[in-house]
Amino acid sequence: MTAVSLNAAIGNAGLLLMLASTTFGAFATAFSIRARATRTLRQAPRYAWLALGGAVLATVMMQRALITRDFSLAYVQQVGSTTTPPLYNVAAMWSALEGSLLLWVLVLAGFTAAVAWRFRTRTDDVLVGWALVVMFVVSAFFAFITFGPASPFAAGPPVPVGFDGPGPNPLLQNHILVMFHPPILYLGFVGFTVPFAFAIAALITGRVGEGWLLETRRWALFSWAFLTIGIILGGWWAYEVLGWGGVWGWDPVENASLLPWLTGTAYIHSVLVQERRGMLRVWNISLLVATFALTILGTFITRSGIINSVHAFSAGDIEGYLLGFFAAVVIVSLALIGWRGDRLRSPGAIDSPVSREGAFLANNVVFTAFAFVVLLGTLFPLLVEALEDRQTVVGAPYFDTMSTPIGLTLLFLMGVAPVLPWRKASAELLRDRLFWPAWCGVGALAVAVLVGADGWAPLAAFGLAGFAGGAAMRQLVLATRRQGWRGLVGRANGGMVVHLGVILIAVGLVASNNYTQSANIPLTVGTVQSWNGHTFELESVALAEDDRASVVSAQVRLDGGRVYEPAITTYLQRGETIGTPSVRTGLTRDVYLTLDGSVRPTPGGDTATLRVFVKPMIVWLWIGSGLLAVGTLLAAFPGTNRRRPTDPTSAPVPIGERMGEGAGR
Amino acid sequence: MAGAGLNRRLKRWPAWALLVFVAAGLLAVGATRDTGPRTPGERVDDITRRVACPICDGESVYESRNNASESIRAEVRAQVAEAERSDDEIIEFIADRYGGQVLLVPRATGIEALAWAIPAAALVCALAGLTVAFRRWQAEAATARGATAADYTLVDAALAEDRRSADDPPDDASRRSGAARRSGDDAPPEGDQP
Repeated sequence: MTAVSLNAAIGNAGLLLMLASTTFGAFATAFSIRARATRTLRQAPRYAWLALGGAVLATVMMQRALITRDFSLAYVQQVGSTTTPPLYNVAAMWSALEGSLLLWVLVLAGFTAAVAWRFRTRTDDVLVGWALVVMFVVSAFFAFITFGPASPFAAGPPVPVGFDGPGPNPLLQNHILVMFHPPILYLGFVGFTVPFAFAIAALITGRVGEGWLLETRRWALFSWAFLTIGIILGGWWAYEVLGWGGVWGWDPVENASLLPWLTGTAYIHSVLVQERRGMLRVWNISLLVATFALTILGTFITRSGIINSVHAFSAGDIEGYLLGFFAAVVIVSLALIGWRGDRLRSPGAIDSPVSREGAFLANNVVFTAFAFVVLLGTLFPLLVEALEDRQTVVGAPYFDTMSTPIGLTLLFLMGVAPVLPWRKASAELLRDRLFWPAWCGVGALAVAVLVGADGWAPLAAFGLAGFAGGAAMRQLVLATRRQGWRGLVGRANGGMVVHLGVILIAVGLVASNNYTQSANIPLTVGTVQSWNGHTFELESVALAEDDRASVVSAQVRLDGGRVYEPAITTYLQRGETIGTPSVRTGLTRDVYLTLDGSVRPTPGGDTATLRVFVKPMIVWLWIGSGLLAVGTLLAAFPGTNRRRPTDPTSAPVPIGERMGEGAGR
Repeated sequence: MAGAGLNRRLKRWPAWALLVFVAAGLLAVGATRDTGPRTPGERVDDITRRVACPICDGESVYESRNNASESIRAEVRAQVAEAERSDDEIIEFIADRYGGQVLLVPRATGIEALAWAIPAAALVCALAGLTVAFRRWQAEAATARGATAADYTLVDAALAEDRRSADDPPDDASRRSGAARRSGDDAPPEGDQP
């Protein structure tokens, strides 16, 4: 029993250390700022180190408890099993509520420490001080949740000798992406705490100018990238594991991660308007508050069980705390914005809707509308239940219908916005700059029609994607022609690389959503079946068993080439059965094989029923995500020696080159 | 410079008219062409995507693999095989049989119509808000006092520097001078300026 008390005791001690240091840090820093006590203010980073130490300690002890299968802990009883392979045993930490909150706490402590480190030479600055206070308060809240009501180190009921737990949910021990999707997603979710903290600090100090925006530019950018990649990895995981052949199901949990992404994306665009024109101050702060509040609300929605979802963890006792915290965030932020209303009034005006800032504004309206629709659809069952006391479901078809016009509008804006100048654009300028991008769009449309695409909405999407891609390429070509490889870095150019990634993702989504074909194909050993231009031949039905799971798999030769093995796995500890697809990935189409679960094949038998999906362009989702990640790095690249906005853009250009460039315009 | 002239001539309105014509033609061809009769399997898939599994947490019958979904799928398959009802009628039939909560798409009547009406109302509000905002900005710009002598000096200096470094099209130059009025934090966008 000594090991028992060790893991729980040290783990709890770590969480308590974090709770104490962040709570004390928040008070001490706030009082030092009020009392103008510079010496004590300089201590602020130390609380962040202590908190990080506590969080790391707790995480290490949780991992130790999982590795040593310390079944005295309720959490390990819930997700631990002697049969879980080491890799998935590590990931077991975030496979249920308490442990995933611990991961949240770890990431949050990491970000707090990173802020303290980044601004260590500026701890005298009250803006940094207040930002740290906000980080401490948020950390203290989550430390409190994990220390108290949702403790991963709570003792479980006594277990008999030789007890073995069920292990993580089978779906979470089936694919390597389980290692990466949650941590990366959390980096995105939690990362937005940093710009939020600075926004609140700006409101408190009254320094609501552009300074805090510039400080947090890269924090917001990287958080956005992590959130994006995390969401896409989730889609990839769903595709490879869940066996229904899709990447996105508009499930409440998925929506909960999409909501902050939408407002965050709006923010990283509208922030440019404020940096350049000093406008939209209230709007930007509101977007950050919304992004942060929506991560909390999303956690509440998905962790409280108020909305049914296949993703939802079993309900804990934390919904009250989360809802209270959400309310506190919203109320405090709104009060601060109201209090600083006079300073937030911006001097400028947007002269024309047809301008760069006009396009950013339109982008923001569309993204906010998108977020609103997703939120409405997600919460709608609650509304119906409250008013009419009956159950309803709002599912994928609703969101698909609503997101079609929104997505098309966004693609159109992606095409037009990059060529627009600030202030005002003339018709002549548009005619000149949009010419080749528009023909790119026509080219994409022609290709789509040639390869057999139909339906007005997908075709419009392909055409607009080509248009947007042309506009992004135009910017990159002009910039690289002028500056060489440096034309790929910087926010405007890196942003265009991100746009190209997003366009690939959009094309992949549109194509795979609209042109997937599927069929149930009964197979017999020795007979070749053909469907949709592919041939399928069943070689055998095999059974593999170990003490963790029993796997029935069908060996299917696809197109006379490689053998694929879709399987049905039964996890013995939990008694759950899940299907595991087997996918042939190609540049233009994936062939996605699953075993039809309703007709489970007999091992050693000679028949099996395949469910086959042919899905076009799926691989471009992953390629586009890679491009998006690269683009984000390029956008952040220039580092501290970035050109000052007032400096000339580049060295003088020799006459000959400039003439060559004139020809390109 | 011949290339530049050609480029400029190319971008006149006939080419744009051609572009619109070609795009509209392609869209019309693609949107209306007959892709052959839909297979019964595809119809079953389409219909089951719009029906929720009655005992799961928000999954559609299409995705779900349990017995309840299996029986709905069998029912849909039978209805499709009969080929008497349309997709919508089959869904109504299923909804009547299993109760309204199997519908994945809110209806357009009763309280569920709010799911459609609220976004529409929000769209109208957003557009109205934008219109008001632009009106106000324009009014502000109109009543703002004119440029001072200092402003003109600033603009002239910026223009002089401009002339040294570029052969910009006219609107680029005027834009730059406009930008220079707000001195300090301003620079042309990285990609749009030679």
